[in-house]
Amino acid sequence: MEKDTEFNNQESIGNSLEQDRAWAESLLNKQSLSQFNASKIDAPLNYFESFPDQLMSRIANERSEKLEKKNAKIFVLPSFMQPINRWAIAAAFIIVVGGSFIFLNNSVSKKTQASIVTNNISLQDISIEEIETYVDTNEWLAEIDVQAQMQKENARLSTLDKKQIEEIKKTITK
Amino acid sequence: MASDQELIIQFQASTNREANFTALLKKHQQKVYYQIKRMVTDHADADDIAQLVWIKIWDKLDGFKMESEFTTWLFRIAYNETLNYIQKQKKQGTNPSNSDLLDYENATASTDSPKSTEIQIGLDRAISQLPEKQKVVFMLRYYEGFDYEKIASIVGTTIGGAKANYHQAVKKVEGFIKQL
Repeated sequence: MEKDTEFNNQESIGNSLEQDRAWAESLLNKQSLSQFNASKIDAPLNYFESFPDQLMSRIANERSEKLEKKNAKIFVLPSFMQPINRWAIAAAFIIVVGGSFIFLNNSVSKKTQASIVTNNISLQDISIEEIETYVDTNEWLAEIDVQAQMQKENARLSTLDKKQIEEIKKTITK
Repeated sequence: MASDQELIIQFQASTNREANFTALLKKHQQKVYYQIKRMVTDHADADDIAQLVWIKIWDKLDGFKMESEFTTWLFRIAYNETLNYIQKQKKQGTNPSNSDLLDYENATASTDSPKSTEIQIGLDRAISQLPEKQKVVFMLRYYEGFDYEKIASIVGTTIGGAKANYHQAVKKVEGFIKQL
């Protein structure tokens, strides 16, 4: 701020444009200043006439390039194939597979345990009387089966003649 | 001829954008080019920077709110683009103005008297050695006749700062010429 005030207060500077120019010309050479400017502001012939067309065609080119890049992005590198997303997909896949494996394992082992428990309970819960009844029933059924089988055999043997009976005997003795 | 404001309003309303933009361009292209060329000297460089400036204007003109004069905004963009270009050149280790300065010295040496040539070369060397901000402030004030408020907005300083830059620029150039 002090610096600003210092220059504001100077007689040589910050007044009118004409005064500022006159001050510079008094210290520097006016002719040299105008020659310097003339040397800097020259441009090739018809440069300013052709510049707008050149610029507008460049703008149009850049616009079409931007559009192409946008489209290319969609086809060349889909978002789900980008490096970060690929890792995310891999991680999600591992979680799903691993999780389902663990879940299934647990459920199978639980079922097995449950069935064993069910079986144990059923055997323990059956009374001795019930078991004996079951065995007796089954023995009776087995006897019936044997008797029926014997009757069938007798009926078959009765249909055989003497020769056939002797042949059977021979094969049994052999 | 339509004012800058009218052309911008029509551009922003999307009615015949290219025609309105071209009208703005034709109106101001010479001053923008001269400002750039005074800083970089070489025509090819000045042309390239000028194109970048106008492409930026095309891209940003929709968002221009007319809080400042269009020319202030335009010259600020031109100033910043030119500074960026000069900084890039410095990083790459090339100084485009040196070769042009030699060409200029050769040209003036053959046409002017020895004394005026000496002053001319001294002035050119002195101005080329000024800090960019001082150089631009001096050019905009002396050659373009801009007021300090506008110059301050363009180079991003206070009005007092712009006055100080003008004063220092003239004093430095004077000191350099006296040494010759």
